[in-house]
Amino acid sequence: MRPRTPSAGLLLVTPALLMVAALFVYPFALSITSALTAADGFPSIANFSKAFELYSGDIVFSVLIVASSTALIALTAIAIAGALTLGETRWLVAALAALYRWPLFIPFIVAAQCMRTFLAKNGLLNNSIVSLGILDPAMTQSFLDWRGIVITFVWKQTPFVALLLAGAMASLDRATIEAARNMGAGRGRLLFEIVVPQVLPTLMVGLVLSIVTMLSVLSVPMMVAGSQPTMLTVDMAFRINAYGDYGVANALGVISYLITAGAAWLYLRHSLREGGRP
Amino acid sequence: MRHWIPAVGFAMVLVASPAQAQTAINVATAGDQNMVDYVKDYLAPMFEKTNPGVKVVAVGTGPGDAGSQKIFEKLDAQKKAGADKWDFDVVVIHQKMAGQMVGEGLLSAYKDKIATGSLVSRDTASNALGANVSGYVMPMFHSQTAIAYNPDLAKDVPNSYAELIAWVNKNPKKFGYNGIKGGMSGVAFVTGWVYAFGGDAGKLITGPYDAASKAAWDKALADLKEFNKNVVITPGNAGTLDMLNRGEIAMGPVWVDMFYTWLADGKLPPNMKLKLVAPGMPGQPMYYAIPAKAANGELAQKFVALATSPEVQGEGIVKKFNWYPGIDAKHLEGKLDPVVWKKLFADISPEELSSKGMPFPLAQYFNEILEAYERKVAN
Repeated sequence: MRPRTPSAGLLLVTPALLMVAALFVYPFALSITSALTAADGFPSIANFSKAFELYSGDIVFSVLIVASSTALIALTAIAIAGALTLGETRWLVAALAALYRWPLFIPFIVAAQCMRTFLAKNGLLNNSIVSLGILDPAMTQSFLDWRGIVITFVWKQTPFVALLLAGAMASLDRATIEAARNMGAGRGRLLFEIVVPQVLPTLMVGLVLSIVTMLSVLSVPMMVAGSQPTMLTVDMAFRINAYGDYGVANALGVISYLITAGAAWLYLRHSLREGGRP
Repeated sequence: MRHWIPAVGFAMVLVASPAQAQTAINVATAGDQNMVDYVKDYLAPMFEKTNPGVKVVAVGTGPGDAGSQKIFEKLDAQKKAGADKWDFDVVVIHQKMAGQMVGEGLLSAYKDKIATGSLVSRDTASNALGANVSGYVMPMFHSQTAIAYNPDLAKDVPNSYAELIAWVNKNPKKFGYNGIKGGMSGVAFVTGWVYAFGGDAGKLITGPYDAASKAAWDKALADLKEFNKNVVITPGNAGTLDMLNRGEIAMGPVWVDMFYTWLADGKLPPNMKLKLVAPGMPGQPMYYAIPAKAANGELAQKFVALATSPEVQGEGIVKKFNWYPGIDAKHLEGKLDPVVWKKLFADISPEELSSKGMPFPLAQYFNEILEAYERKVAN
């Protein structure tokens, strides 16, 4: 067989490289340049100072929302995947397996629309609790604020992480689990000391991808919560729609990249220290 | 040899007839879904019936100034690319963008070429937030914001912004509005607040622009920040109406047309009422405009003439969609059921509308009010 020439290989990857360059590298560079260009066309950090001046609260808010959502997603996903892997009641596991993936197929905007009526003060959730006689109507409160955003994100992203995690757990060597069980490990210890450490890289991948997704969703913060404070996506949309100001919007975009880059860096540092594949 | 003649003839018919039936005029509409529906379901079939062979393609570009921004970007790009024929034949746009588009030569001056051009009387047909748009636009309708309230939950309803502050202090968390990032009803409420407490409102509306005016807003916005502590920030124009409907708030600023539409659909308690508080709250028209290089300029003019005829304004704009007419209301007399007319003015009389229905401020003041709100109130 003739050895493959480098030019043939280059030819093969060129279309893909061009796609990446045109659809990712170019717009990415453009948004960074626009963020670093003042209204008069000269390089400046004015857009960033304005972004920090007006939206520092929203930056912190976005980070807190995403961080707390990520923590809750991790916990629920571990619980679901753990139940699927270690559960012994067969019909319960089957029911869970059939049910947990549903939110995956529901778009964010639909989820947000449902949450709007579900989480309101006189919404479905509170009305059900009231009709069960647990709460008095006067005692109910609206969840249509930061809690609504967190609830929607967790509801929407948990199945995605749980799906990855359950796959990773299913491919674990059962012998380690059985061995621990024989030594008398309870289900909790089994999950957190034997299973989760082995699937940690998968969990991290799922969470980093979720962070990126959550930081980019506009519909949920827009529809579920009022706008003070709000997430960076809403501010970006507002800069463009109200003022036609792409400079500050792009500066906010760059700040979002930096936040996700921070998450990715934490992940990489962790996996390299572990000596595993990133 | 002669067989090919009928074949070619047949082929020509095949080619020609769809071409004739497919003269399409593209109508791009900024604004909420109800406006796209209005063009698509109401105007388009009517226009297609009177103009056989023409198809109206209605495109929605999204609510709020964002929708107008998209129309602007598309036309601007086609202009910069040097295209001979631009894709949109008729555009429906907001005031802020209309001024900019006229300034950049993206629109054609068509108002005096159509018969209905002379039926327009309000000053918004020539002045869009300080920009002279005379001749380039026809108002499609006028929309107004007002405070909606539930009389069962709200007693001693305030008549002015000052009374509203007192009311909110007495009834914390019973008034809700959507801030400035969730839609224009909240923006209108904030603008009205600045008109009420931020110095000379007339100057903000008619100009000339003077950067010193901003100094007077500081106190007003500091008070608004204080006021916000006792109100609910709702998620959007519809969010305010939703919360009114569920009785979670008793009062909040809404668009009058949305209010009546929701009321008619049974999405609000039937006893809900409107109040236009003093000194006034802003409203705005939407404009029909025709791009400077529209591919079907003549048809576009016919389309706008139909859309601004007294019949369509009465039946479509007032009766079906609860907007105030874009042309002078006196031309609707005799064309509209008096019951419908009365319903539209049940809570807000025509006199109140003309004394307390205000335009939005000059575009530059407008942006500065929004940014000052971001800096001093929301921050």
